[in-house]
Amino acid sequence: MGSSVGDAAAPPLPPPPVGLAVALPPKAEDKSERKVDYLNLPCPVPFEEIQREALMSLKPELFEGLRFDFTKGLNQKFSLSHSVFMGSVEVPSPSSGAIKVPTAHYEFGANFLDPKLMLIGRVLTDGRLNARVKCDLTDNLTLKINAQLTNEPHFSQGMFNFDYKSKDFRAQYQMGNNAFYGANYIQSVTPNLSLGSEVFWLGHQRKSGIGFAARYNTDKMVATAQVASTGIVALSYVQKVSEKVSLASDFMYNSMTRDVISSFGYDYILRQCRLRGKLDSNGCVAAFLEERLNMGVNFILSAEIDHQKKDYKFGFGMTVGE
Amino acid sequence: MASRVSSKGKGKAGRGPDDGSTARCVKDWSTWAMKKAKVVAHYGFIPLIIVIGMNSEPKPHLSQLVSPV
Repeated sequence: MGSSVGDAAAPPLPPPPVGLAVALPPKAEDKSERKVDYLNLPCPVPFEEIQREALMSLKPELFEGLRFDFTKGLNQKFSLSHSVFMGSVEVPSPSSGAIKVPTAHYEFGANFLDPKLMLIGRVLTDGRLNARVKCDLTDNLTLKINAQLTNEPHFSQGMFNFDYKSKDFRAQYQMGNNAFYGANYIQSVTPNLSLGSEVFWLGHQRKSGIGFAARYNTDKMVATAQVASTGIVALSYVQKVSEKVSLASDFMYNSMTRDVISSFGYDYILRQCRLRGKLDSNGCVAAFLEERLNMGVNFILSAEIDHQKKDYKFGFGMTVGE
Repeated sequence: MASRVSSKGKGKAGRGPDDGSTARCVKDWSTWAMKKAKVVAHYGFIPLIIVIGMNSEPKPHLSQLVSPV
């Protein structure tokens, strides 16, 4: 009796487009008499991906200018990528918020994707290197390294993460430069609810913080809440309206700077295109379209209109290759 | 007075005569190692990926690395 619920590890359903990765019990006829087997809860999503669905819908990579990406696969696991960008980039400046700096760069990248080892490297024309390594040391332990190395001294950043995944919980330990240490832990409490918490310590500024998060999801909706001692409260809600459409909303409150921002967005995943749009409480409207012109050729349009700051950003581009 | 100061210093260290400089040596050496590791990673990461990729099965040809087809 409990085995039909405990068998949740291998549902034969097609993967839902919103990316709800938690293996839920199959919607069988015995839904009314489904007993929760608390010893066989599904594995929760990683702590940093708790708001994954909301971020995917509400924060597409908006850009201004021209973008061209070419990915060439040499074999199943190894591929090279060439990327050209010409446009304006927002650089935070101390005097007047962010200023737009026109930049043009070429980026060369190499990817090696293996089930056990993933290496991604991107190098720009000014010498900056973006490196990501993910290595499965054992079945349950994963090492992730994320680094941005620059030629200027003291501007490089790196972070080491050790992830441990068990049957119904995940734990992670992080070490970064500038003496940053962090740890987080997330546990499935019921088949739909998972709770987690994180602590971090910044050595050079002698700051530490603690945060708590909760995620409730069914196969139609995901609701998350995060509170941190840095004074940030973040809530999000994503509803999958149909196979092709999902709506998302997001609320963030920073009690230190008394900043509130709330946004509402939609995500249409259609056969030939993916359209994401959002509306902000700061008066910002954005949309991002990826249209599949042909096998492996995608056309991208990005638009962001900020009515409050009178900032209009439009970008277009093309992606060739998988 | 000088002997009192020196004995107080020895009592505080407890382990060796130049404990403070040993810790400083270790810190300096680890900083030097991190600097060298950063330079090695900066120049060698992308070549490392390319070498690992070119040796994975099925082995791609060297001309595929530079041709745009």
